[in-house]
Amino acid sequence: MALKQISSNKCFGGLQKVFEHDSVELKCKMKFAIYLPPKAETGKCPALYWLSGLTCTEQNFISKSGYHQAASEHGLVVIAPDTSPRGCNIKGEDDSWDFGTGAGFYVDATQDPWKTNYRMYSYVTVELPQLINANFPVDPQRMSIFGHSMGGHGALICALKNPGKYKSVSAFAPICNPVLCPWGKKAFSGYLGTDQGKWKSYDATLLVKSYPDSQLDILIDQGKDDQFLSDGQLLPDNFIAACTEKKIPVVFRLQEGYDHSYYFIATFIIDHIRHHAKYLNA
Amino acid sequence: MEEEAGEEPGLDRSAPKDFHFYHMDLYDSEDRLQIFPEENTRMRREVVQAEKTSEPRGAGDAKAQRDLQEEVDELAHLYGLEDDNDLGDEFVDENMTRMGVPEYPPYVMKRRDPTRGQSDWRLSGEAAEAEDLGFGEWGSAGQCQDLREAYRYAHGRASEEYECYVIPEEEDEEEAADIFCVTCKTPVRTFEKDFDEHKEHEVTPLSKALESAKDEIHKNMYKLEKQIIEMENFANHLEEVFITVEENFGKQEQNFESRYNEILETLAQKYEEKIQTLGEKKKEKLETLYGQLVSCGENLDTCKELMETIEEMCHEEKDDFIKDAVAMTDRLGKFLKTKTDVEISAQPDFEDQTLDFSDVEQLMGSINTIPAPSAPVINPQAPNSATGSSVRVCWSLYSDDTVESYQLYYRPVQDSSPGKNQAEFTVTIKETYCSVTNLVPNTQYEFWVTAHNRAGPSPSSEHAVYMTAPSPPIIKTKEIRSCKEAALICWESGNLNPVDSYTVELTQAESPEASGVTESIVGIPTCEALLQLQPGQSYVIYVRALNVGGPSARSEPATVHTTGSYFHLNKDTCHPWLTISEDGLTVTRSQRKISVKESLSSHTRFTRCVAVMGNLIPVRGRHYWEVEVDEHLDYTVGVAFEDVPKQEDLGANCFSWCMRHTFASSRHKYEFLHNRTTPDIRVTVSPKKIGILLDYENSKLSFFNVDISQHLYSFSCQLHQFVHPCFSLEKSGCLNIHNGISMPKHVTFY
Repeated sequence: MALKQISSNKCFGGLQKVFEHDSVELKCKMKFAIYLPPKAETGKCPALYWLSGLTCTEQNFISKSGYHQAASEHGLVVIAPDTSPRGCNIKGEDDSWDFGTGAGFYVDATQDPWKTNYRMYSYVTVELPQLINANFPVDPQRMSIFGHSMGGHGALICALKNPGKYKSVSAFAPICNPVLCPWGKKAFSGYLGTDQGKWKSYDATLLVKSYPDSQLDILIDQGKDDQFLSDGQLLPDNFIAACTEKKIPVVFRLQEGYDHSYYFIATFIIDHIRHHAKYLNA
Repeated sequence: MEEEAGEEPGLDRSAPKDFHFYHMDLYDSEDRLQIFPEENTRMRREVVQAEKTSEPRGAGDAKAQRDLQEEVDELAHLYGLEDDNDLGDEFVDENMTRMGVPEYPPYVMKRRDPTRGQSDWRLSGEAAEAEDLGFGEWGSAGQCQDLREAYRYAHGRASEEYECYVIPEEEDEEEAADIFCVTCKTPVRTFEKDFDEHKEHEVTPLSKALESAKDEIHKNMYKLEKQIIEMENFANHLEEVFITVEENFGKQEQNFESRYNEILETLAQKYEEKIQTLGEKKKEKLETLYGQLVSCGENLDTCKELMETIEEMCHEEKDDFIKDAVAMTDRLGKFLKTKTDVEISAQPDFEDQTLDFSDVEQLMGSINTIPAPSAPVINPQAPNSATGSSVRVCWSLYSDDTVESYQLYYRPVQDSSPGKNQAEFTVTIKETYCSVTNLVPNTQYEFWVTAHNRAGPSPSSEHAVYMTAPSPPIIKTKEIRSCKEAALICWESGNLNPVDSYTVELTQAESPEASGVTESIVGIPTCEALLQLQPGQSYVIYVRALNVGGPSARSEPATVHTTGSYFHLNKDTCHPWLTISEDGLTVTRSQRKISVKESLSSHTRFTRCVAVMGNLIPVRGRHYWEVEVDEHLDYTVGVAFEDVPKQEDLGANCFSWCMRHTFASSRHKYEFLHNRTTPDIRVTVSPKKIGILLDYENSKLSFFNVDISQHLYSFSCQLHQFVHPCFSLEKSGCLNIHNGISMPKHVTFY
């Protein structure tokens, strides 16, 4: 598991780096970005994982969201992996922007030809944390997760499927109920097959219903002028209803005038970093 | 022996020097001069006089001198100085030059027997008396006599002591003896011991005997030195008394003189008056008598003239006679009709006039041995000398006055009703101060004082105004507000009249090791104080009121904890439908709606929204409090400026920031209202306890679900003035406010 440093830039007293490594789960070379705050020079810091949305690489978040200052101040190591395996030469992987490359949907595929490489769920919940814990000054006991859109979906399911593993979770415009939205249906049927009963274990809204009574504070920001919200791709209401019923604490903020872009993310990123810092640094 | 020889002369020299207290004084001791700075010169003068008178007796003295010279030599011999005559001469010379009286070498003085000293004294006294100078100026001869006797007494005693010291050394000795016969108390030569009367006697070596004799002498000298010091002190004291007597009698003389002069003047004046009156009376009487005499003469002349005319007529012819007689008869008739006054208008003796000497008698009577005192001077009030019910009044008098007692008068100063005479109080005291008690706090009293003695009272002193200290203030414990860094304390003055200022005293209660360390904030002009405190402590606070008289007693204590922000609900702002619990922390809106008369729009009381405001301490820090709510209750909590429009809903304007919860058709709705707008925020778990964080430093107001440490929302608000917590109930139910609590850690992230 040799790490290859691709880049390193000083930022708010810390370092924004990009590494490449050979992934066991994905059986390809994978890049991930990692921000090491100044505090990481002297001690172990909590780790906060960011999962990006459709079409993104590790670069989008680190170059557009402007999270560095808050992460530097709170002393958080922020890890941003890529959104799918790359260069696996699977037929049709680059055919559409919402499936295949850049659209791993953070599931472990069970269908051919995807099941060999497209194991993003295991990659972000198991392999990557092990790699990070082994190579960077992070405290394995303190980790949280957040993401945007498809990554928001990924963050929610990672947290809901692993009670206690993540101290907190938050999301920007997450795909809350993929089994009911066009993106989800397309991806799940492709990666998981047509048996919709198998999809349940990767749907945040459905996972809430079986989530044990455990402390989990969920923060969700949603732009009100998000085109995908009105297209019915995100379906946050279903998630909120489920959480209300199950009394899972969510603060859902519908932000007037904001869309689905990184401009929206950059506006509220500080709130999210603070939300996680509250639990990670408690 | 050689060693002793070195020090003995010193002793020998010092002993007489000290010893010669009176002698030296009388002659010319520079050392002693400063003891009687002025008197000495006078005294010396007469003593010199005395010496001169005694000079003719020099023949007798000469013999004494010779004897004494021998004695000195003997003494020197005894001390091993026989070979050291130079020293003795030096000593003599030195003293002689210093004293400037060659006829009296020092050892003469030293050896002079007491009776001679006394006779000198007597002589000097007699001389002084004879010439009537010197002591004359000190007063009567009797006084002088007394003083001289006192001096003689002192001298006599000193001489007695001196004698004890001298006698053992006067033993005669012819040749060098080497042993000492204890029985005979005499030195003998060794060979004498074997033969003479000393044969059976106990003997000791002479050196040993010498040692013990010296010891004895030293002891005696020490005693004498002490005696001398005592006597010196006594003499000083006498000197003081002497001066005092002189001064007192001088004063008394002046007093008598002025009084008698006064009386003589009065008598002279009276005499002048009487003489003048007498003269006037005499003149008046004489004038009257003279006038009468003149008129009497005139009458006489007229009568004579008539007589002559009638006689002439008698010699006339009948015709003429008849004619003239008729006219004459008329004239005569007229004349006789005029009454001739023969009463003496003025009596020769003078009216009895009593001489009025009552005023003179009064003056005579007023001449006492002591004059009535002059008016005492009353002191202004000393700072911090008063209590709430007492003042300490002080005054002074002229030191010359003899005063038996003082009469202190006082009455409260009341400028409001000058016509009404306030009751006056009087105290009689012997001291020049008085603690007047049972007074009313924070009140001005007028004091004046008179001094009294046998001769009568003095005029009154000036009036001085003293003020009693105020009553202790009363801390309004129910209105204390505090936060982590400060406390706002209010109190009632406790005094009807205004006081000068207040002092707040605070002690940290929870640090027993630092107990008693009290911090004071002084000079507070108003009935409230904002105290800067340390976080997380307990303080006991007292207040005192101050005026010119001093500080009041401490108020009842109040306790403040700087755990968190602590406030009370302001009943003045409370909507009529709301009731506030006894502890001021539970707001209840009852089921039954009390019909309220539509009161006019108020600036303080909420009239439309059913709300109440809390009194938060005006400190720009971080304040945190919690509100316990029912999940199904419709409520609004937040903050507002004090002047928020009370007829508007909370959050419906720019002056308030609120979280509103409404529960309708089993749905919870949470709004974060400011200026009628709210972000669209959905909360999945209904808070049962809402934490509110007001952060002036970061211009933020945040809401939390306390039970799950969930951040609900943060306002960014420009708080250009202080805000207060607000609570509103849109349905019946109640809100429980928790304050004075520490801030949970999770809120510190916001």
